[in-house]
Amino acid sequence: MIVAERKTIPELVDILEGHKKILVLGCGTCVTVCLAGGEREVSIISSALRIASRAKNLSFEIEELTIERQCDNVFIEEAAKAVERNDVVLSLGCGAGVQAIAERYLEKPVYAGLNTAFIGILEERGIWAEKCAACGACVLDQYGGICPITRCAKHMLNGPCGGSREDRCEVRPDRPCGWQLIYQRLKGIGQLDRLKRIVPPKNWAPSLGGGCRVIVREDHRI
Amino acid sequence: MKIHIFYCSNCLDTDALRKQLEINGNGQGDHQIQTVSLPCSGKVNLLYLLKAFEKGSDGVLLVTCEHGECKFLEGNLRARKRAKAVESMLEEAGLGKGRMIVVRKSEEGIGQITAALEQLTDNILQDTERSQE
Ligand code: SF4
Ligand code: SF4
Repeated sequence: MIVAERKTIPELVDILEGHKKILVLGCGTCVTVCLAGGEREVSIISSALRIASRAKNLSFEIEELTIERQCDNVFIEEAAKAVERNDVVLSLGCGAGVQAIAERYLEKPVYAGLNTAFIGILEERGIWAEKCAACGACVLDQYGGICPITRCAKHMLNGPCGGSREDRCEVRPDRPCGWQLIYQRLKGIGQLDRLKRIVPPKNWAPSLGGGCRVIVREDHRI
Repeated sequence: MKIHIFYCSNCLDTDALRKQLEINGNGQGDHQIQTVSLPCSGKVNLLYLLKAFEKGSDGVLLVTCEHGECKFLEGNLRARKRAKAVESMLEEAGLGKGRMIVVRKSEEGIGQITAALEQLTDNILQDTERSQE
């Protein structure tokens, strides 16, 4: 899922200052699961903004709404009336959700209330970790399903850097060395031989190099 | 002053608390104190606490069981962490420190709550004075 976290209240106040009627719009999908922008967080952030508004004499009038998915036009429609009633939208969707709302409601300022951080999973209660950087040319098949791009701090493709201590990464001692994980996993599935191959430099063209990435599926376009 | 007391009903007797508050109320005059009984302090979440402030509370007292005494094992630990999160959100929102106090109820009796209440009202007064400077 996409993992995000809230901006601070002073940051949000800075963004919203000068506006009166504000729709805080949540998203019921990824950001609900990572506890950043679902129905509950909409209420929490709205409540904090009301307190800030009173403390700083800002006269915010805040409406709360959460739709199923902000990055999908079918669901965006459900917000139409609430968007119309308000001066601006503070979206608690991921970056894609915020932009989808802004593209649909051209006449309204739409602001991001979250910082979209990464594609990851919940590792344990209250801890989310990055697992994929959407590099556009996945190499998981060669590394036992452990991503060397996100889980090795140096994105090493041909073995560890040599700096790990015990099983810890030298750059991030709070995290396990990605290469230790790759080795253990390949050993476990009997594929250690894969490590004998020299992997050429990764082709980063499908990553962020060439502007907005687009996937066209002609078979779905009629 | 408007104050909310959220308390775990396993460690604090509702009648004793009310009785004590009445006594304090007579003695101290004009505090408006609202009590909210919880089946476990871990039931409290960020929104409960923030809503109290949003609706005009000047300070909140959260009463939990002692370490190791929670009937649900870690409800009191969660409550404390949530109170901490709320306190930093309140600070972000422009309210000063000390408006959210967590009391671990020991055997000392109800006097502990009264002392915490006094501390809370002091904090609120100081913070109000600071913000008016
Ligand atoms: S190799 Fe690329 S696509 Fe595959 S998991 Fe890693 S970052 Fe994501
Ligand atoms: S210690 Fe391991 S994870 Fe960290 S940079 Fe080196 S190889 Fe990568």
